[in-house]
Amino acid sequence: MLPFLIRSLEAAMIFTFAGLGELVDQRSGILNVGLEGIMLFGATLGFIAAKTTGNYFIGFMVGLGIGAALGLLHGFFSISLGVDQVVSGMGIWIFGFGMTTYIGNPYTGPLGLDKLPTILGVSPFFYLAVIMVVLVWFVLSKTGLGLQIRSVGERPSVAQVSGISVTRIRYMSVIFGGMMSGFAGAVYALYYNPVWNYNFLMGWGFISLALVFFSMWNPYILFGGAVLFGLLWQLALNPQMFFPGLASRYIWRMVPFIMTILVLVLISSKWFRSRWGATKPEALGQPYHKE
Amino acid sequence: MTLGGYEFRLQRRATLPGWKAALFSILAVLFGLALFSIIFLQAGQNPVEIYKQIFSYAFLNSYGVRLTISRFIFLALASYAFIIPAQAGLWNIGMPGQLYLGALASFGVVYLMGGKTGEMTASQPVIILLMLTAAMLAAGLFGAIAGFLKGKWGVNEIVVTMMLNFIAFYFVAFMIKDGGPFMNLGGRGESFELPEAARAPMTGGFPITLWIVFILMVMLQVLFSRMGLGYQIRAFGKSPAAARYAGIKPFMIAVLVFSLGGAIAGLSGYHYFAAVPGVYKIARTYGYFGDLAFYGVICGLISLGNPVATLPVALLFGGLSIGGRYAQGKLHLGFGVDYALMGVLMISLVAFQFFYNYQILITKKEKKLDVAISD
Repeated sequence: MLPFLIRSLEAAMIFTFAGLGELVDQRSGILNVGLEGIMLFGATLGFIAAKTTGNYFIGFMVGLGIGAALGLLHGFFSISLGVDQVVSGMGIWIFGFGMTTYIGNPYTGPLGLDKLPTILGVSPFFYLAVIMVVLVWFVLSKTGLGLQIRSVGERPSVAQVSGISVTRIRYMSVIFGGMMSGFAGAVYALYYNPVWNYNFLMGWGFISLALVFFSMWNPYILFGGAVLFGLLWQLALNPQMFFPGLASRYIWRMVPFIMTILVLVLISSKWFRSRWGATKPEALGQPYHKE
Repeated sequence: MTLGGYEFRLQRRATLPGWKAALFSILAVLFGLALFSIIFLQAGQNPVEIYKQIFSYAFLNSYGVRLTISRFIFLALASYAFIIPAQAGLWNIGMPGQLYLGALASFGVVYLMGGKTGEMTASQPVIILLMLTAAMLAAGLFGAIAGFLKGKWGVNEIVVTMMLNFIAFYFVAFMIKDGGPFMNLGGRGESFELPEAARAPMTGGFPITLWIVFILMVMLQVLFSRMGLGYQIRAFGKSPAAARYAGIKPFMIAVLVFSLGGAIAGLSGYHYFAAVPGVYKIARTYGYFGDLAFYGVICGLISLGNPVATLPVALLFGGLSIGGRYAQGKLHLGFGVDYALMGVLMISLVAFQFFYNYQILITKKEKKLDVAISD
């Protein structure tokens, strides 16, 4: 039972990292649906870097770096070039999926490094995720920077006349979002599931995206959702713990994906939507053109 | 911005003439191919030479051409599955899931008729028709889930279709692995092989699915340029709010486009697993084939949703991906050259979106003269 819970929390930390980045991104008005692609890149390049150098630290740095670069790319497309944000995000996802399949294939197999140490049985990244949740909440709701990010996501033209550079804040946010996704990917590949395989991220990027919608852009709710999904995921992988002999393992594998859809339906319900609509960043997904 | 006495200004385009859109699409592909040559350079090869080989294998070699046509059929169907919802402003990235369901349903027909154990007696035309119908129905219904949720509650269709892909992926695994009903009797984790009578007939050396592609092209062209329904779909895609005032029902549109898209994706699943010579089964590696359907996103975006323009694009990408596989084997490149190509083409296309939306105005800057007015 205890290993089950620990594994669930460790899955949750990955959803949390990716989701927090996307949350800040969206708070500034930029939607990045390509976070699966960034995570795949962070996971694959981080994995290769750590495997070839034998150094975990380099692997995580590579994950952060490629994440920042792809965040910047999304920013360049959607902020500077004015490309539709969904098109750009989809582009980054397909780019990541296609490229990492090719780049990672020669490295198929286990990482082959000693497993990273734990604190009280749980990965230190879990504690880092908790700290990041508090930190993102604090910055967004208690600091001037957070106010700037939120105002840019609500009313960019008003923010602009009050002296905030919309472009600068949005670039900062997408780069942060990219770094977090790239890092989440690296944590996945270097700690949670250190065996490279074709498309081994299994749509976790899309699930993180769904969690951001679910969170109503609140880091604490996001974290709660991440823990819920971590539990579900472990249940789907180990159904024999609770439901021995009931249904094939492949049927259980469908459960987290079905649950994601149900969660999306739930947050689209009238009750939720009246709250959701109030918290949704007003300018989400709209490119801003300086007058 | 001024540079050397000229002023550069960005202006948002109101309209884009068709020939310009075509030009930008061609440039985007060329740029993508140029970018992709980095992979060949890295392998120590001359890109021009490799592209020559890729094209001559894909379009001139008799064996290669057959593979190209087969891939073309698959990509064209996957593109149509993407285009129909895209015309309504909705994103269908659920082609892999829909095509798995289509393949499963057509194999299900054969299974129910005793094809797995060799007791099938029905005549070939009946079986083929039933398989095609089942593929379209099952995949259409599966696709309709996303449309229903979108139309009814506004649930994000991108995440939903992606989740449905994984659900369908594991459903296939359940059916063909670990003693599932469709499992090969030899137990190799793949489906039973289709008996002779259940394989798609060939006409002129190509499977009948090729004709389905052309029929669909005509039907979609008529739908989008001649019919009120097609107009409603496009109007909804341009402005959902305005369309609502015009009496267009969003729910109906969402369900319809996803059912149609799903049904066509189902045909691409039928094609890959029941009409390609030498396959005729759901292979263990079905996931690789399914994910190639994402090429449909690129074909659809590059051809700007035009059903006729989609076909040459699908043919080009089909040839490139087949030729890429060939080059991969010949140069001992890693697995997945065709996936990498897909990624590079996509990102190049996104960069070129800029030119669809903006034009750069260059004007000579007038010198301002300071002339004192005196009389």
